[in-house]
Amino acid sequence: MTFNNLYRSTTAMALALSCVATPALAEGEVNILTWEGYADQSFVAQFEQESGCKVTATYVGSNDDFAPKLAAGGGVYDLITPSIDTTKTMIAAGFVEPIDTSKITEWNNIYEKFRTAEGINHDGEVYGVPYAWGAIAFMYRVDKFPEAPTSIADLWDEKVKGKVSLWDDKSAIYVAARLNGDNDIYNLNDEQIERAKQKLIEQKPLVRKYWATAGELVDLYAAGEVWISNTWAGYQSSLIMEKGIEVKEFIPKENAEGWMDSWMVVKDTPNLDCAYKFLNMQSDQAGQCGVANVNGYSAANPVAAKKCMTPEQYDALHQDDPDYLNSLLLWENLEARLEAYTNAWNAVKSAN
Amino acid sequence: MTRDRALRSVVLATPLVWAVAFMFVPYLIIFTYSFWLKQYPTFVPAFQFGNYLQLLVDPQYYQVLLRTAKIAILVALSALAIAYPFAYYLVFKVTSARLRLTLYMAVIAPLWVSYLLRAYIWKTILGSEGVINSFLVWIGILDTPTDIFLYNQFSMVVTLTYIFIPFMVMPIYTALEKIPRNLIEASKDLGVGPFGTLFKVIWPLSLPGVFAGMTFAFCLTFGDFVAPFLVGGPDGVMVANVITSQYGAALNWPLGSALAIVMLIIVLGIIELSDRFERSGRINLA
Repeated sequence: MTFNNLYRSTTAMALALSCVATPALAEGEVNILTWEGYADQSFVAQFEQESGCKVTATYVGSNDDFAPKLAAGGGVYDLITPSIDTTKTMIAAGFVEPIDTSKITEWNNIYEKFRTAEGINHDGEVYGVPYAWGAIAFMYRVDKFPEAPTSIADLWDEKVKGKVSLWDDKSAIYVAARLNGDNDIYNLNDEQIERAKQKLIEQKPLVRKYWATAGELVDLYAAGEVWISNTWAGYQSSLIMEKGIEVKEFIPKENAEGWMDSWMVVKDTPNLDCAYKFLNMQSDQAGQCGVANVNGYSAANPVAAKKCMTPEQYDALHQDDPDYLNSLLLWENLEARLEAYTNAWNAVKSAN
Repeated sequence: MTRDRALRSVVLATPLVWAVAFMFVPYLIIFTYSFWLKQYPTFVPAFQFGNYLQLLVDPQYYQVLLRTAKIAILVALSALAIAYPFAYYLVFKVTSARLRLTLYMAVIAPLWVSYLLRAYIWKTILGSEGVINSFLVWIGILDTPTDIFLYNQFSMVVTLTYIFIPFMVMPIYTALEKIPRNLIEASKDLGVGPFGTLFKVIWPLSLPGVFAGMTFAFCLTFGDFVAPFLVGGPDGVMVANVITSQYGAALNWPLGSALAIVMLIIVLGIIELSDRFERSGRINLA
C-alpha cells in the first residue's frame, strides 16, 4: 500500500466514523444522572412515547458522584437528582440553574416543607423540584432478636458481635453523635466529632462490614453475615424479604435522619424543553407512583400520590403523617464542615 | 525516501506521544492539583504545602500507608511461596511438554476472567455460610460457622494472592527456564545434593524473576482498591480507598492528589530498588 493509498483510506474511514458519530435527529432528548429506579422503564417508556423525548439515564452510586462528574466538564447531563445534603453544593459550585416553577404544573401540591427547604432555595430563586423522600431507618433480622431492638445502642452490644453493619458514609458520624447525646448532628463541633469518632472506633470489633451499596447490604443479610444495620427505609428491606429472610425496620429512640431527593437542571442545558416535560411527568402521578412502586420511597407530592396509590400504600409510606415527616432530622449541607466529618469517618476506617 | 523517513518518525513518535499524553500529562495534572487549596464548595488554584503537611500531621494517613504496605508484603511473600515451587516443578520435573503447557495455561487462564468476578467468588468460599464453613460444620470440626475467614485482612491477602499469582509465575518460570542445564549437571557432578543445587545454583540464578514477580505483586496490591471493598472488613481500608474518598465524598481533590503523589513516589522507589537488586544479582552466563 502506498502512502497515498493509506492517506485516502484513512480519510474515508474518518468520514465514515464522523457520520456514525452524528447524533440521530430525534424530536428531543434528555440526559439524566440519577439513582437507579428514578428513570425506570415502567413509567419512562410511556413518557418517551408521548413527549417524543428520548431519555438516557446514567446511574450514580452515591451523592458524592454528582460533583466529580459535573466538575469534569459539562454538556453531558441535563438533569441530576442529588439529595438535600448535596443540593446546596451544586448551587454554590454553579453546576445548576434556577427553575421556573410556574412551568411545573404540580408545584403547589408538593409538601411545603420540601418546597421551602433551604437546600434548594437560594437568593429568592428555586433550584430543585422535590421528588422522593424517606428515612435512614434501622433494620434487624426478626429471628435473631427475641426482643426487638429500639435504640442505636443495640448496634454497640457485645451480643451482636460480628453481625453489625453500618453505611460506609459520613452518616455514621450522625449515628454515633446521637448515641452520645449530641443531637444537633449537622452542626457538631470538633470535640463532638472526635467523640463520635471514638465511639465508632469502639464499635469496630463488632462490625462485620461497612456497607457501601444498597445491593451489598442485601447480600450481607442474604448470606447470613449481618443481623442489624441502618438502611434506606423501604428499599433494601423489601429486597431482603424477597429472598425469604424476615427483617423489620425501626426508628430508634435516638431518632433517624431523613433524606429527600430533588430534580435539578444543569446549567445551560440545550434540552430545556424536554427537561421541563420530564419534570412535569416526574412530579405528577406517573413519576410519583413510579418511584414509590419501584424503590419503595415516599412521594414528595402527596396530592398526586393519593390519586394513584392504594390507601394501604399511602399509609405505609407515611404520606398522610406530617408528624413522622417532621420527626426526621432532614439532611443538611455541611458546607465547609464536610471535611471535618469525612476526615473523621476516614480516620475511623484507618484506625487499627 | 522522504516518505520512508516520515513513516519511520511516525512509528517512533507513537510511543512517545502515548507516554506524554497518557502518563506525563496526567501525572503533571495530579502534581499541580496537590498544591491547590480546598475551599467550599470545591477547590481553588494555589501553591502551598498544606496538603502534604496534613498527610504528615494526621496519623490516619501513615496508619493506612503502613497497613497497605503490610498487606502488599504479605501478598508478595505468599504468592512467592506458592508460585516458586509451582514454576520449579513445571520447569524441572514435568517431562511432557504438553502437560507443562497445560499446567502453565491453567495458571495464566484466570487472567482472562474479570478481576471483579474472581474476587467476588472468594466471598462464596470464605463466607459464614460459604463453602469452607459448610464443610467444617458438616465434618463436625465446628459446631457453628466461624466468621474468621471473611471480611478481614486475611481474606484480602488470600484474594489478592490468588489474583496476582500469574504475575509471579510468569517471570519465575522464564528465569528458571533460562538456566543452562549443564550448570545443574555440573553441580551434581561435583557432589552437591539436590537441596544444595537448589539453594546455591538455581535460586541465585532465578533471582531476577523473583524480584520481577515480587515487584509486580507488591505494586499491584499497593494500588488495589477493589479487594478492600469486596472482601475487606472494617479494618481493611487501603490507601487507594482513601484517595477515592478524597476525590468523591470529601470533594478534596488537592488532598487526594497529594496522597496519590506520595503513593507514586513509594511505588517508583520500590521499582527502582528492585531494579538495582536485579542488576546486582545478575550473573553473566555467557
